Amino acid sequence: MKKSINKISERRAAYIFVIPAVALLAAFLLYPSLQTIRYAFTDYNIMRPDRVIFCGFNNFVELFQDEDFWIAVKNTLYFTVLVVPFQTVLALALAMLISSRRKGVPIFRAAYFSPQVTSMVVVAILWTVLYNSSPDSGLLNALLVKLGLEPCGFLNDPKTAMNSIIFMSAWQGAGYQMMIFLAGLQGISREQYEAASIDGAGKLQSFLYVTLPGLKSVIQYVVMITVIQAMKLFTQPYVMTKGGPQNSTRTLVYYIYEQGFQKRNFGYACAVAAVFFVIVIGLSLGMKKIIKAE
Amino acid sequence: MSRKKTFGNIAFYLGNILVTLLFVSPLLWMVSSSLKPEAQIFKGLNSLSTFFPTGASLSNYIEVFQRINMWKFIGNSLFYVLVIIALDLLVNSICGYALAKFEFRGKNLLLTLVISLMVFPAEAIMLPMYREMADLGWINSWASLIVPFVAKCFSIYMFRQFFLGVPNELLEAASIDGCGPVKTFFKVVMPISGTVYATIFILDFVAHWNDFMWPLLVVTGEEKRTIQLAIQTFFGSKPINYGPIMASLTISAIPMLIMFIFLQKYYVEGIASTGIKG
Amino acid sequence: MRKRMVAVLLAAALASVVSTGCGKAKERVNEEGESVVTIWSPSDEPAIEEWWVEKIGEFNQAHEGEIELRREAIVRADSYAYEDKVNAAITSNDLPDILYVDGPNVSIYAANEVTLPLDSLFSEEEWGDFFEPSKQQNTYNGKIYAVGATESSVALYYNKDMLDQAGISVPEKKEDAWTWSEYYDVAKKLTGNGVVGTNIIMDKGEGLSYVLGQFWISNGTDFVNEDGSSADGYLNSKEGVEAAQFLNSLIQDGYANIDPIQKEFHNGRAATMLGGSWEVATLEKDYPDLNWGVTYFPVADGDGVLTSPTGDWAASVTKNAQDMAAVEEVMRFLFSKENVTTYAQAISKPPTRISSYGVLTEYNEYPRSIFKEQLMETGHPRPRTPSYSVLTAEFSEAMLNIFTGVDPQEALDAAAAAMDKDYAKYYAKD
Repeated sequence: MKKSINKISERRAAYIFVIPAVALLAAFLLYPSLQTIRYAFTDYNIMRPDRVIFCGFNNFVELFQDEDFWIAVKNTLYFTVLVVPFQTVLALALAMLISSRRKGVPIFRAAYFSPQVTSMVVVAILWTVLYNSSPDSGLLNALLVKLGLEPCGFLNDPKTAMNSIIFMSAWQGAGYQMMIFLAGLQGISREQYEAASIDGAGKLQSFLYVTLPGLKSVIQYVVMITVIQAMKLFTQPYVMTKGGPQNSTRTLVYYIYEQGFQKRNFGYACAVAAVFFVIVIGLSLGMKKIIKAE
Repeated sequence: MSRKKTFGNIAFYLGNILVTLLFVSPLLWMVSSSLKPEAQIFKGLNSLSTFFPTGASLSNYIEVFQRINMWKFIGNSLFYVLVIIALDLLVNSICGYALAKFEFRGKNLLLTLVISLMVFPAEAIMLPMYREMADLGWINSWASLIVPFVAKCFSIYMFRQFFLGVPNELLEAASIDGCGPVKTFFKVVMPISGTVYATIFILDFVAHWNDFMWPLLVVTGEEKRTIQLAIQTFFGSKPINYGPIMASLTISAIPMLIMFIFLQKYYVEGIASTGIKG
Repeated sequence: MRKRMVAVLLAAALASVVSTGCGKAKERVNEEGESVVTIWSPSDEPAIEEWWVEKIGEFNQAHEGEIELRREAIVRADSYAYEDKVNAAITSNDLPDILYVDGPNVSIYAANEVTLPLDSLFSEEEWGDFFEPSKQQNTYNGKIYAVGATESSVALYYNKDMLDQAGISVPEKKEDAWTWSEYYDVAKKLTGNGVVGTNIIMDKGEGLSYVLGQFWISNGTDFVNEDGSSADGYLNSKEGVEAAQFLNSLIQDGYANIDPIQKEFHNGRAATMLGGSWEVATLEKDYPDLNWGVTYFPVADGDGVLTSPTGDWAASVTKNAQDMAAVEEVMRFLFSKENVTTYAQAISKPPTRISSYGVLTEYNEYPRSIFKEQLMETGHPRPRTPSYSVLTAEFSEAMLNIFTGVDPQEALDAAAAAMDKDYAKYYAKD
């Protein structure tokens, strides 16, 4: 009897709790997203909002024949596949590095997070110096030459440009995931570590058998959002390479911006966005399956 | 034993200091450049001396405050960012909690929707959203800066993920004490979830503090100009002078650092030994 | 405690949203019954911001009871921020009466009927006082769509000490401007010891079209045909490919950097630089120790056309303008002889009105005289086509591809095809 009353009040509470968020999401995320999908079937040019004509699947037909689009798909997936494990492990490593109780930990924590608060303008200037292809100006190339190696083109070589961006993105973004890991680490009680230590577990064992299982749902979350953020890669190519050289860093979202705003081909950009949407939903459903199957 | 401890300490500090240098060098360069005269900023960029200003002066900062009303723009940014965060923490945490702990019809659908909408890139929905703001008559109002960003799939999902770890026994105990589900959340769950709230606060603050594109579109004029828009005024005309830019970027980083230091206390280990499991 | 804080913040937020939520309709008439004219222009340096305050005050005083002039300074940033803002305003018909646009964008807005023709603004005689290249840039389909107060030009800056050391002397007359091969040889001689021979802008953006496009013109072609409908046979013509090959040789042979560090020339890391007229003021003010000079923009070998870049921001009247009489009054005021002169003086750029040079005598003296001379006699604007935004993006992409190993013909063919496709899709049927 009591249980069923609880169930009813729980359901009522549930609706009270979700309605504000659902209403706002519907109005300011779902609605504009649906609009975007609607525009994908038009020839909308930003310059002429009064002359938008429905054009069926034209944009999609064009899209599937568009070489640049497929390159963007490939680049986006390549970036995601490499950056996600790299950045997640880096973030976890940073979190572990400062998880102990010592003096100075807050300073290190702030330091590792600081690329997040540093403006992209500054980051871009410094990394272009680091990556500069001439050994006279580029720090890394000066080092390579000193070691007797060939200088590398980094951002100016289509073979290495994306890898250079991956490295830089992981450096810049890891602090974000580190904060989430740190929050997750708070949830693992000291007793568990003490119990493990009494059982004779060393540092590595307690990491493997206490920390990692304890972080399971946090790791799931971090991987999920890192994948999504990676799929949305835009700022770094926008600021540093403009999608080049030779298309090597043109990602899907960069392509959306380039087509929609810069070239004002908004209908077409919306079609790219719609396909992007489908790809990522497929991906996240797949990830959910993998997580469940575990 | 003690020797081992000393060794551990040395390794800890040495490792962390090295990694710290890798991470803070851009920030250091920004601050040091902000103190240099214009001609020095890009001189010797590939040597260590670039991190140390010679003949430091505050003239770039003086120029920033003379040219633009920096205090007002900082105030504007603080206002709208804090309002977004306050609403975000409330609206999204209760939604995330419902998704974690309640059974109700449509739950799975909502969860799928939350995850899917997370992926829609802002660049793609910006223009439809702008049109929506124009239709609502919200252009140039605080509402357009705030309301669309209150509900956030990232936050909902993160709250859910953390509330999943709140032990059910704790909730049942509260229910036996006569707490309804709503009261349980505010009286029992919220107070022990400081870390999650602090984390989202930090991540949100940084994200919105750096907002550029959207405020640019919806805000015209100085009345509601945000700090990032104000900084961009220094990029306006050629030649670009980097001294005042570095100074204004440094100024803009300060509130983020203060906020970060202030919220750090929620990360002191052991504070959350209240029974939440990850 | 936390709950109370949240509640207070929430209440404050709601109150603020409600009180300001209902956006105000665009005011075209103010409380005193004056017609309101609004200008959007990029936010600028202090001297120009002061100029605006002074001039708006002056105008409003003279038109008390009739017109109120307002200006919103729009952030321009270093990318497309200003254009993005305008794009958004176009979708909701929220444009100001008067909109400042960058030179090559005039054609885009004109072709899409976002801006209106302004030929009747001035008498024939008055128009005659404006520079030809500047009027050309602002003309689309035979009509003038924008008026600018200032111009820009690019010439070759050089490091005197380095040239003296290498025993190189610079041309004194524009007819003697260095040919491409001479320019190449100079760059070659000056490269070494951590210094590159020259700097060719390489901002991966609009700078490429603005400066490097001149190499097409000098070699006897252009980016697009006369009416701006096609790039095929121009951008990718034999002469165009030669231009690209020449620029590429500077990069490939190591005489110019593909990714120059900021202020390469200013810090003595490049011996010469294709630099804008605006650099004069910076070099004078911030780099007093640098011993520099300026000479003419290089010209193609053989019968190369003498040329130099031009173009600057200009004011246009939008389709959302209401009180046309008042708007025209404002335009005539802003571009009067006196105001063009004071504006150009404040921003230290060359003015567009020939008569202004009678007042701004610094342009009769070296180094500024070089820029004035180029503007008057060799200036060529960027191409005028409604597909310019596609063209310029494709061009800078093509150049980067060429510099990283793609065949010039192939890269330019692709760029020309992309521009022609855009024109065919949106403008061929108009």
